[in-house]
Amino acid sequence: MGSLDLNSLINALVLGLSIASIWLLAAIGLTIIYGVVGVINMAHGEFIMLGAYSSYLLQSYFGLPFLLCIPASFVVVAAIGLVIERGLIRYLYNRPLDTLLATWGVSIVLMQAVRLIFGSDPKYLAVPALFSSNLQIGFINLSVFRIVVMAVTALVVAGTWFLFYRTRFGMQVRAVTQNKEMAASFGINASRVYMLTFALGAGLAGVAGSLFGVLNIVLPTMGTAYVVQAFLVVVTGGGTLLGSVFAGGLTGELQSIFAAVTNDTFARFLLFLLIVVFLWFRPQGLFAPRSVRR
Amino acid sequence: MNLYHNKLAQWAAYGVFFAIIAAVPLFVSDSFLLNQLGTYGVYGLLALSISLCWGFGGILNLGQGIAFGLAAYGMAMTMQMQTQDPESNPIPPFMLNNSLEQLPALWEPFWSTGLGITLALVVPTLFYVIFGNLMFRARVSGPFFAIMSLAMLSALFTIILDMQPYTNGANGITPPQPLTILGTPLDPYGPATYWLVCGLLIALTVGAKLLTQSKFGLLVQAVRGDAERVRFLGYNVAAYETAIYALSGFIAAVAGCCWVILVQYVSPAQLDVSFSVTMVIWAGIGGRLSLLGSMLGAFIIQGGQSYLGDALLSTWLLGLGAFFIIVVRFLPKGLAGLLEMGLGALSSGRRPKQLEPADRANAMAGE
Repeated sequence: MGSLDLNSLINALVLGLSIASIWLLAAIGLTIIYGVVGVINMAHGEFIMLGAYSSYLLQSYFGLPFLLCIPASFVVVAAIGLVIERGLIRYLYNRPLDTLLATWGVSIVLMQAVRLIFGSDPKYLAVPALFSSNLQIGFINLSVFRIVVMAVTALVVAGTWFLFYRTRFGMQVRAVTQNKEMAASFGINASRVYMLTFALGAGLAGVAGSLFGVLNIVLPTMGTAYVVQAFLVVVTGGGTLLGSVFAGGLTGELQSIFAAVTNDTFARFLLFLLIVVFLWFRPQGLFAPRSVRR
Repeated sequence: MNLYHNKLAQWAAYGVFFAIIAAVPLFVSDSFLLNQLGTYGVYGLLALSISLCWGFGGILNLGQGIAFGLAAYGMAMTMQMQTQDPESNPIPPFMLNNSLEQLPALWEPFWSTGLGITLALVVPTLFYVIFGNLMFRARVSGPFFAIMSLAMLSALFTIILDMQPYTNGANGITPPQPLTILGTPLDPYGPATYWLVCGLLIALTVGAKLLTQSKFGLLVQAVRGDAERVRFLGYNVAAYETAIYALSGFIAAVAGCCWVILVQYVSPAQLDVSFSVTMVIWAGIGGRLSLLGSMLGAFIIQGGQSYLGDALLSTWLLGLGAFFIIVVRFLPKGLAGLLEMGLGALSSGRRPKQLEPADRANAMAGE
């Protein structure tokens, strides 16, 4: 409570950067799935949870080193996402509210299935000793692992940007996002684009999960903690990559500053009220593409 | 004509349903069971409120726990203050444990039972009016509104959990004695309380059913169909959306009050996200376009949960989730839609095909 001097402000800003990177990493898969495919994926939190569990599985049963678990989780969760898209989501593309409900059902099923297989007791991910140390620069104190998360987030954002704006597949994705029918008439297989984008978004959630499993303990319910926050980032950002990067950064920093002045929970409440008021002025979010009525 | 869309047949079905639930205490002598059946009335009220908001208004509300929880807290505070004495013992025990020396101003109005219950109903409804107005005027709709209501719910959940000295945090409030109205205590295990809940359920269901058949109800359904067209016809869409949303919030608030009367307990669990989503699942499986279907959905699912689920909760939830996916994928109108199809197949066998458009018009006017 109380005053905020320069030192603690800088500390809060650095911590805010770390919070922002976590929220952005949780939100980026969701942004892609919403922005391109138009699906509100309520099972996103469970994709994150699956990422953490697949890392746990690979680490404790196959002895995979942690750094290799991250890309492996991407592959595993992307494959699960692919199956869910082909088996369920693709039938619901023209019913946005129903995709929301169906993915809720998916989230319940995934959570319970994991609970039946692994039990409800917490699991832990082991990391190299270097990652669990702390870094001290002047008065700023930050754990090395949080810096790893920031680096991975930056890498994921850069990679996604490259994929979407510098490759042939990315051009197809953007064409389908702008106008599905027109793109299809130019010979782009829209159904395939949707399928791969959904799998990509799920895979990115898997990456997030393998990192969040270290930040927190691994539990079947761990996804729910991230999903609401991730949605707020997507809604505030307007569903574009750039929007999510800015929204994630802004909300993370604000959360950290508010928390430094009051406390964590109250900061979250305040941040949420701000987002509601913001949406009142700009319902389309920070950087929304010009809306097309379909 | 499809019997399902026949208004007389619909009212007959509602009548049978009311008669059955009202007669329950005549056959159930186990007071514990009666109390549990009373809580099903609360689930029925919640399913009714979701059906009204989502089924008829097209507003998917994943945060119905807001009204339910706020009202439950209001009622619990009222009941708690009934057991306190202004002179000798003015502060509830948990506040003393949290080293509060004075009753917070937030709690002062709850000395009066009448004012307390009024607040328990008015505050959530007003909250819905303000929140709904903010959202709908900004034309936040569909999935986005669902997310915002969900986020609002989790924000409230954390703040109630955090305000330990005022709300007793995760432990919740457990009023030591049942609610006393006009000098008589309302035994939560007695038939009188059951009939109170049952009576409220019947009255609100009849009101909601009449509302859906009125001009207002027709307009709300038109907004569900295509909000843009209704706006171009000159109606204030946001006002209609706010009205149906606030109305459903009021019903959920009544449910919250009944809940605390029955179980004498409230905790942040009532504002848990998963409970609010469960309400949507009741209506989704039962049939959101039918008030009665949604309520029966709540009874079936909650009944299944308490009788099958206790032993194998994870398997039950797994099955429920899978079943919900199947309903969303193949039966968007839920089990009530299945009945509609069945009755439709029966009547189309006897009737010439030309009557179909009339059927569809009826379907839009009624359920």
